[in-house]
Amino acid sequence: MKIFNIALGILAAIGGFVDIGDLVFNVSAGATFGYQLLWVVVIGVVGIIVYSEMCGRVAAVSGKAVFDAVRERLGFRTSLAALISAQVVNLMTLAAEIGGVAICLQLLSGLPYRWLILLAGIALGVIVWVTSFDWIERIFGYGGLCLLVFAVAAVKLHPTWSAVAHGFVPHMETESPLLYAYFAIGLLGAAMTPYEVYFYSSGGVEEQWGPKDLGLNKANAMIGYGLGGFLSFALMIVGGSLFLEKGIQPEFLGSITLGAEVPLGQIGLLLALVGILFAVGGASIDTLFAGAYNLAQYLGWEWGRYRHPSGAPRFTLTWLVLLVLGLGAVMTGVDPVQLTEYAVIFSAVALPLTYVPILLVANDRAYMREYANGRLANVFGLVYLVVIMIVAVTAIPLMILTNVGQN
Amino acid sequence: MSTRKIDLGLLLVDHQLLDSEGRRCGNVDELALEGGPGESLEVVAILSGPGTWRRRAGWIGRVAARLGGGGTVRVPWEDVDQVASHVKLRKRADQLGLGRGDDRLRPYIEKIPGADR
Repeated sequence: MKIFNIALGILAAIGGFVDIGDLVFNVSAGATFGYQLLWVVVIGVVGIIVYSEMCGRVAAVSGKAVFDAVRERLGFRTSLAALISAQVVNLMTLAAEIGGVAICLQLLSGLPYRWLILLAGIALGVIVWVTSFDWIERIFGYGGLCLLVFAVAAVKLHPTWSAVAHGFVPHMETESPLLYAYFAIGLLGAAMTPYEVYFYSSGGVEEQWGPKDLGLNKANAMIGYGLGGFLSFALMIVGGSLFLEKGIQPEFLGSITLGAEVPLGQIGLLLALVGILFAVGGASIDTLFAGAYNLAQYLGWEWGRYRHPSGAPRFTLTWLVLLVLGLGAVMTGVDPVQLTEYAVIFSAVALPLTYVPILLVANDRAYMREYANGRLANVFGLVYLVVIMIVAVTAIPLMILTNVGQN
Repeated sequence: MSTRKIDLGLLLVDHQLLDSEGRRCGNVDELALEGGPGESLEVVAILSGPGTWRRRAGWIGRVAARLGGGGTVRVPWEDVDQVASHVKLRKRADQLGLGRGDDRLRPYIEKIPGADR
C-alpha cells in the first residue's frame, strides 16, 4: 500500500513538472534550433533534481522550508531582496499560468477570453478553498499526465533519431549564437523554476517529513523530475520535427497543441488541451502557495495548506491577495506567453538568492548531522552553483541582445 | 537550557519562534544584551516584530516597519525553552503578546464559509 501511494505521488509529480514556461521554451527551442538544445534540458533536469533533493532533505532533517533558510542565512536585509525578487517572479508566473488556463478553456469552449480569465481565477480560488490538498495534487497531477500525448506525437512524427541522439551532445550549428544562448538560459530557467522548490520543501515540512522520509524525497526528486524531464524532451522533439520544418513559431499557447493534432488528429488535440489545462492549472496553484509560503516564512507567520484557512489567517489572506493581483495582471490583456518568457528569465536571475542559502544549510552539521551534504551532493551542488551564477549574470543581457528571443 | 554553546548570529538571530504549543509566532528579529565594557555580555531578551526592522534595512526597513504597524515584542530570555533549528518558548504566543496579527485577522477569515473545514 505504501509503495502504491509513493507511485501515485510520483505519477502526480510527473504530471506536475511541466508548466507554461516549459511548454513555451521547449517547443520554441525545438522550432528554432531543432534538437540541438536537448543537452541543455538534461542539465536543467539534473539541476532541479539536485536542488530539490537538497531542499527536501533540509526540510526533512531540520524542519526548515526554503525561505526559513534564506532568512536565517542571508539576514533580514539581503533576504528581503531575495523575497521581493521571488515574489515579483512568482506573481508574473502566476499571472501567466492563469492566462494559460483561460486560453485552454477558450480553445475548449469557444467563449470569450476575458470572461474565462475571471472564471479560471474564481475556479482556482474555490478549488483551493474547498478541496483537500491531497486531492488537488492528484487531480492536477493525473490530468497533467495527458501531456504524455506529446511523447506519442514525438514518435509518430518520425524524427530522424540519429539527429535527436546528436542533440544530447553539446554542439552548436547556427548563425545566431546569441539566440542559441538565450534559449539555453531559458530552458535552464524553465526547468529549475524556484517556485517548485518553495512549494516542495514547504510541503515536506507540512507533512512532517523526518529522516525516515529521505528515501521518498530522493525518489520523488529523481523519478518525478526525471520523468518530467522526459516530457520536456518530447516537447522539444515535437517542436523540432514539426514546427521547424513547417516554419511555424509557436507564439500562441494554442499553436503548441498542433504538435499533437497533426500526427494524432482530434483525439491528440483534445488530450493536449486537457493536459495543458491541468498542468498549467496545477502550476498556478503551486505558484499561488509558493508566494504565500515565502512571505509567511520570511516573517515568521503561521502557514500551511493542510491547515484550516482560519488556522493560518495571514497566510490565507496572502494567497487570496496574490490570486486577486495575478488575476488583475492577466486581465490587463498582457500576452501570457510573453509574460512567461519574462518570468522565466527573471527567475533565472533570482535563482542564486535561494540556491546559495540552501547549499549552506545543507552543509551545516549543526542541524543536518549525518544527513549533511556528502561529497557527491557537494560536487553537484558546486557545479550547479557555477551554472546558476552564469545563468543569472547572462540572462538579462541576452534577453536584451536578442530582443526577447525575437531575432 | 543545555550548556551547549550557541552561535548567536547563526543559530539564534532570524530564526523561527515556536510557542509552547508549537505555533509559529514570529522570528527572532533582534537580541537584547546586557553587560558593560569588560564584563561578560548576557542575552536578556529576544525582540520580535516590525519595530525592529527599521534598524535593519535602511529606508526599505522603515517602510516595512510602518506597514507592519511598528510594534516590538520583548520575550524575556527566561521564557526560552530550547534553541534548536527553531527557537521554542515556554509560554503560549498570546501570553507573550506574539502572533497578534494572526489572532486579529482570524475572526474575519472565519466569516468566509468553509474556512474551518
